[in-house]
Amino acid sequence: MTRRSSLTALLGAVALLAAGGTGPAVARAPSVDATVTDQSGKPVLDAVVTLTPLEGPPSALRPTTAAMDQVNKEFVPAVLAVVVGTPVSFPNRDNIRHHVYSFSPAKKFELPLYIGTPSAPVVFDKPGPVALGCNIHDWMVAYIYVVTTPYFAKTGADGRVRLEGVPAGPYEARVWHPRLRGEAVRPITLAEDEDGRVTFSVTLRSEPRPVPRREPYEGQQQSG
Amino acid sequence: MVVFVGLFAVVLTISLLVVAGFLRAAARTEIDEELRLASTLFLRQLDARSQQLVVATRLLSGDYALKTAVATVEHETTRSVLENHRRRIGADVLMLVSLDGVITADTRPVDQHRATFALPELLEETEQTQDPTWVVPLDGGLFRLTIVPVLAPDPIAWLCAGFAIDDRTADELRRLTGLHVSFLRRQGTGFAMQASTLQSAERADLERGLADARQRGVVRIQGRPHVARAEQVAADVLVVLQRPLIEAFAPYNRLFWILAAVGGAGVLLSVLGAILVARRVSRPVLALADAAGQVAAGDFDASVPVHQRDELGKLAATFNQMVAGLRDRERVRAALQRAERLKRFFSPQLAEVLSAGDESVLASHRREITVVFCDLRGFTAFAEAADPGEVMRLLRDYHAILGPLIARYEGTLERFTGDGLMVFFNDPVPCPDPALRAVRLAAEAREAVQKLLDGWRHRGYVLGFGTGIAMGFATVGRIGFEGRFDYAAIGSVTNLADRLCQEAGDGQILISGSVYAEVERLVEAVRLGELTLRGFARPVLAFSVLNLRACPPLPAASSVSTGDAGRAG
Repeated sequence: MTRRSSLTALLGAVALLAAGGTGPAVARAPSVDATVTDQSGKPVLDAVVTLTPLEGPPSALRPTTAAMDQVNKEFVPAVLAVVVGTPVSFPNRDNIRHHVYSFSPAKKFELPLYIGTPSAPVVFDKPGPVALGCNIHDWMVAYIYVVTTPYFAKTGADGRVRLEGVPAGPYEARVWHPRLRGEAVRPITLAEDEDGRVTFSVTLRSEPRPVPRREPYEGQQQSG
Repeated sequence: MVVFVGLFAVVLTISLLVVAGFLRAAARTEIDEELRLASTLFLRQLDARSQQLVVATRLLSGDYALKTAVATVEHETTRSVLENHRRRIGADVLMLVSLDGVITADTRPVDQHRATFALPELLEETEQTQDPTWVVPLDGGLFRLTIVPVLAPDPIAWLCAGFAIDDRTADELRRLTGLHVSFLRRQGTGFAMQASTLQSAERADLERGLADARQRGVVRIQGRPHVARAEQVAADVLVVLQRPLIEAFAPYNRLFWILAAVGGAGVLLSVLGAILVARRVSRPVLALADAAGQVAAGDFDASVPVHQRDELGKLAATFNQMVAGLRDRERVRAALQRAERLKRFFSPQLAEVLSAGDESVLASHRREITVVFCDLRGFTAFAEAADPGEVMRLLRDYHAILGPLIARYEGTLERFTGDGLMVFFNDPVPCPDPALRAVRLAAEAREAVQKLLDGWRHRGYVLGFGTGIAMGFATVGRIGFEGRFDYAAIGSVTNLADRLCQEAGDGQILISGSVYAEVERLVEAVRLGELTLRGFARPVLAFSVLNLRACPPLPAASSVSTGDAGRAG
C-alpha cells in the first residue's frame, strides 16, 4: 500500500483544486461514494471508478509519478490507475531479473531483463488499460489503467471507494476492471452540498485457467 | 476290445467338441475384451498424443517473439513466425485467430487471412477445458486441432495447431495396437472413410458394413469376417478398430488342434494298449484254454508257456503243475493197470517191479529155481465124460484154490495147461527158502484139492491130484514173439519136476533129492529110492512128502534187485 500515498496525494490535489477558493460562502465540493459488486453480489477489489465531467472544458491533469514494483516475483500493485502522461517507474525489488512488457494498444513497451530500477520511467501517454507481463514469469500480471480525468479511485477489498471533492455537475461514471466483461458506464449528476452515491454491479470473467496466474510453489502469500 | 476303443474314441470326440465349443465362446469373449482393451488403449494413446500436442502448442504460444509478432499485427511477419513455429512442433497447420474469431494468420497454402474461423464454438470451449483438443473435419480432411490462447499476459489471440489424421497416422496407431485403424467422418446419413490402414477395396467394405461393425462387432472385409469396435472420438467422427477373426482366433485354433492331437494320440495309445492287453491277457488265456482242451482230450503232455510274472503267469504255472500232477497220476494209473495184468503171471511184488517199468528182470538169465508141477489124475477121462459146464466148474474151483496159494507163497506161475500148472520160486524175485515154499505150497494145495476132489468123487468122478518138485539151475526169461510173451524157465529142472509129477499118484508130492536136502528137517518124507524117469539117463533120487513137521512163519521174499542177478551168474 505504499503507492497509495501518491494516489491519495493526487486525490488531495484534485480535492483542493475542486474546492477552489475555500470559504464558508463557497459551496463545498461533494464527494461520491462508489460501490462495485460482481454478478454474484460479492464486492470487487481493484476496480477503478472514474468520473468524467460531461460539461465544461477538459479537466486539467497534473501527472505525478507512479511506480509498479516487482516484489517476490509479483507486480505490486496488481492494478494501478494513472492519468495520461504519468511516468511510471518499474523498480525491481527482487534479486533476480525481470522482463516487463506490454503489447496493449495503450502502451507497448518492453524492459528486457533488468535488475534494480531502470533509469527512465515509462510514460503512459494514451488512455486505456495496459496489461503488464513478465516474459520469464508467466504468472506475473498487473494492469495500469490510464485515465483522462482527475476523478478516479480504486476499490478496496470491500468493493467501496470514495471520490472526494468532485464539483457538482453531470458526469459519466465508469468502472474498469481487468476481468470486466463489457462496459460499466452510467451518467451521474452531482448537486451542490450533496454527496453522490453510485453503485455498479458488474460482470466479471472467471480467471482464465490454462496458464497459472500465480507462481505455483512460493506465491501463496502474495495475494492481492 | 474294439467296442471299448470305439467307445473311448466317441467319448473323446464328444468331449473334444464340447471343449472346442467352450473354447470358441471363451475365445469370442476374450477377443471382444481384448478389442475393448485395445480400443481403450488406443483412445488413451490418442489422448496422450493430444496432451503432447497441447503442451507443445502452449510452449509455442508462450514464445515472446510470437507475441511480439502478433502484437505488431504485421501480417507477413506473423505468418512467417507461424510457419517457423509449425515446423518446431511438426504440426500440419498453424493459425492465429483473433479474440473475436477472425483468422489473422495461417500457414495453409491458401492463406485464409481475414476469414472467419470455421469452428468458433471451439474458441469458447477452449476457455472452459483443460484439454483443448478436438478431432475435427477441416478442409475436407480430418485434423486433430489444439487451440490455446496467446497470453501477453492477457489473451491477445488464439493459436490453433492442426495435425492431419491421415493414413500415416493410422499406420502409426496400428503399430501401437496391432489392429487395423480407420477414421470415418459423417457424411449425410452415412460415414465416409477419411484415413485408414486398410486397402481401398477393404475401405469400401468397411463403409458398407459399418452398421454391423457398430452393432454386432463383426464386419466382413473382402469376404473374411473381422472383429471390429467403433468408438466415437468426435461428434461426427468414428474410429473403427478391427482385426481378422481368423487371426484373433489363431491361438484358440492352435489350442484346439493341440487338444485334437492329444486326443488322437490318446485313441492311438488306447488301441496300442488294447492290443498289448490282448497280447498279455487274451493270448495266455487262449493258450490255457487250448491246453485245457488237450488235457481234456487225454493229452497230459500239454503245457502252456509261462512268460509273465502276473496273475496269468501264476495261473499258467499252476495249470502246468496241475497237468504234471495229472500226468503223474495217469502214469501211476497206467502202471497199476499194467501191474494188475502182470499179477496174473507174477507175484504182486514182481508185478509191481515190472509195472514200475523195470523190465531188466525179464532179460534171460540163469538161476537156481525150485519148480513145482501139479495136475489132476483122471482129468482127461473126466473131461471127455463130463458135461463141459462141469469141466469148467471143476477147473474154476481148482484154480480158485491154487491161485491164492501161489500168490501167498510168492511163486511165479509159469503156465496153465488145463488141469496142470507150473510154478517156480526164487525168480524173478529171489527168496531165501524156495524149496520150503514149494513144498508148503504143494502140501496146502494137496489138502485143499483133496477136499475139492472128495466132493466130485461122491458124484462118481474118479479124480486125483499129484505134485512134483525139483530144484536146479534153469534159464529164465522172456520168450515168445512180439504180441505174445511168456516168462519161462527152461532147463532139466523143469523136466524133472514134470516127470516127478507124472510119477506121483493121487495125493502124492514127489520131490527130488536136492529139494529134500533143503527141507529135510521140516518135512516127513518117504524115500522112494532112485526112479528111472523118461528123458533122464540116470535114475533120480526121489522122496514122497507125507507131512510138514512144523510151520515156521513164512519169511517174506526179498525184493528184486540187479544185485541178485549176479548170484544167478
